[in-house]
Amino acid sequence: MHQQAGKLLQQTLQHIGLTFISLSIAVLIGLPLGIYITRNKRAAGIVLGVAGVLQTIPSIALLGFLIPLLGIGAKPAIMALFLYALLPIIRNTSEGINGVDPGVREAAIAMGMTPAQRLFRVDLILAFPVIMAGIRTATVINVGVGTLAAYIAAGGLGEFIFGGIALNNTNMILAGAIPAALLAILLDFLLSLVQHTGSRGRRIALNVLPIALVLFSSFYVIPIGYNSRLLAGFTPEFMGRKDGNIGLQSDYGLTIRTVVISDAVMYKAIYENKLDVISGYSTDGRLKAYDLVTLTDDKRLFPPYYAALVIRKDIQAKYPELTPVLNKLTGKINDSVMTLLNYRTEYLNQSPEQIARDFLVSQHLYLPPRNGNKGLVRLGSKIFPEQYILTEMYAMLISGYTDLRVESKTGLGGTKICFDALTYGQIDMYPEYTGTALLAILHPPSGLIDHLAGNKDSVYAYVRGRFGKEYGLSWLDPIGFNNAYALMMRRNEAAQLGIQTISDLVHYQKKDR
Amino acid sequence: MIAVRNITKTFGAHKAVDNVSFEVKEGETIVFLGTSGCGKTTLLKMINRLLEPNTGEIFIDGKNVAWRRPEDLRRGIGYVIQNYGLFPHYTIEENIGTVPRLLGWEKGAIAKRVTVLMEKLQLPPEQYRSIYPAELSGGQQQRVGIARALAADPPVLLMDEPFGALDPITRSSVRKDFRDLDELRAKTIILVTHDIQEAFELADRIFLLDKGQIIQQGTPDELLFRPAGDYTRQFLQEQQFQLEAARIATGDYPALIRAFDHFKNKRP
Repeated sequence: MHQQAGKLLQQTLQHIGLTFISLSIAVLIGLPLGIYITRNKRAAGIVLGVAGVLQTIPSIALLGFLIPLLGIGAKPAIMALFLYALLPIIRNTSEGINGVDPGVREAAIAMGMTPAQRLFRVDLILAFPVIMAGIRTATVINVGVGTLAAYIAAGGLGEFIFGGIALNNTNMILAGAIPAALLAILLDFLLSLVQHTGSRGRRIALNVLPIALVLFSSFYVIPIGYNSRLLAGFTPEFMGRKDGNIGLQSDYGLTIRTVVISDAVMYKAIYENKLDVISGYSTDGRLKAYDLVTLTDDKRLFPPYYAALVIRKDIQAKYPELTPVLNKLTGKINDSVMTLLNYRTEYLNQSPEQIARDFLVSQHLYLPPRNGNKGLVRLGSKIFPEQYILTEMYAMLISGYTDLRVESKTGLGGTKICFDALTYGQIDMYPEYTGTALLAILHPPSGLIDHLAGNKDSVYAYVRGRFGKEYGLSWLDPIGFNNAYALMMRRNEAAQLGIQTISDLVHYQKKDR
Repeated sequence: MIAVRNITKTFGAHKAVDNVSFEVKEGETIVFLGTSGCGKTTLLKMINRLLEPNTGEIFIDGKNVAWRRPEDLRRGIGYVIQNYGLFPHYTIEENIGTVPRLLGWEKGAIAKRVTVLMEKLQLPPEQYRSIYPAELSGGQQQRVGIARALAADPPVLLMDEPFGALDPITRSSVRKDFRDLDELRAKTIILVTHDIQEAFELADRIFLLDKGQIIQQGTPDELLFRPAGDYTRQFLQEQQFQLEAARIATGDYPALIRAFDHFKNKRP
């Protein structure tokens, strides 16, 4: 608890720092640009247009664009937040100055003020409330978008939020979301006080605000854990799991500097040498695409995630010919085959149907569809390519070997949705993973997890037993591949450092310290 | 004091001021009179270079204004605008002290000068010094505007419809104070208005403008009793009687005689 409080404070400070560093840069650039476009109307359209377009780029996509340019960590996060803060600041600066009473402006000129005097003594002071409103908007946007910084290893309150979402841990989500919301409300309130201050307050604010911006910016201290030769990037989920980073520390004694990062950018980041170790899935197609190797889990920390089809027992009884047909796939797909199939859909953009057909043909399992007049079975799948491919294969097998008609309901969100759809009879079967069933559905006591962990047969037996007894569901034979957590490194670096297992990595990290 | 030679100013295809020349003597009060769009404000704004003429030259004290740094020129010329143009974020004291501050006067000297002006313009300093323009009535704001224009004691004062935004009663009272202000005695003043009464009340000489040209320049009496053409006559026609009556009421006997002649001549 105490440790969590410390972490919360650190992340909050990081978040404030990120927000204000980008805000400072945005003010530094946006304010002069805003002033400039009040004098050059032709430039106004271009500047506001570009800033407006930047504003419409979805935040996660913007971060994605920036990674090849700026890598991961603070730089792309600050850049993205800066780009989002730019429009409100430029627009409000120019609107504020254009909104100054023309009579007052004429008087300022006629009194003999120089352009600089007019700007600092009249225009900026009178436009101050409007400009401050823009800075307020930008600040609140930055606090919100800043949570996404956690996706690219820049820290902040997003680490709790996305960790909590990944682990389905509401308290953890709130631990990030509530401080972020409070921070937004508090900053908005404080800035509204500044915005509505009188003439004297404005002059003071103009002197104090730059100092405040720099002060808050300094809250962003790069999170340095300890001296580390390699840098690891782990997903928010992996960071918070017993069979993830926590286990790596406790069971392996691994000490490595870690950053939190989204799996969407993780593979690219390691490929571009921004990271040395990542937490991935062992059958991910990107493993092949980016030439990565998985480290052997020599202490069997990661529970097995063997895929198998889960089917309703009443369907098995109703159509007895179904089970042997579905079991035709058993033993046909190992890890590397599945990785290759995933690679073909994710990187070669082939359709899951095409890949499934090619594979079945190569295994001499493919038969053209029969008439399908006996009855209907419904197949479900989660939203990712591996599941689409498996579903297509099962659909082809059923229509090729039986007279049943197949209806596919692909893209059923996550585990919980698929499982509920199955138990409520909305679908008849879907591919599931032993480890997922164990941890996400059955929630056994932790002592039992430790006992089962690592042994693929005992996990399979356990989930099969409880699914049968408690839910009337049957597990078919495992297909053969294990889509488990894995630590990955670049092939050449792993070879160069002589790292093949996680223990090798631990050992390497402990050397020369 | 002020000499204007062959000034022309165009906005696009529109000739706002068309080859105008005139001279103003030191201490004179000149009124540019005309309908809206006649070019009177444009002409005024070229004197302190708020606008630059296309052709022609303007001299103040024999010096071509085009050769001077605009800021220095303007700090030496008082300027009063129609909607007061007070700085809403400055106190009354700061507003009035604007030009002295730009000129780098000592703080004490500025405060003293502001106090003197506020007293002369009937704005009790202890009451009004530290408040903001929004807290003042229109008439009071206009006094502050005039005080601001006079703060650095410039020899020349330009006024663009200075009483235009006031209601008629306030206007005549502010105008009366204005006439009585000793600060203005020695000043060379150019005032723009479309109000004939105002022009006749304040001017030493009136320049009647139309379509960017001076139709007639002369004393109020000259315009009234010796109109140079149909335009002057028509322009003054509606208020002719009031204007002439006002002349008579001041006890101006030559005017009385001229008015009498005038009415006599008018009989069919």
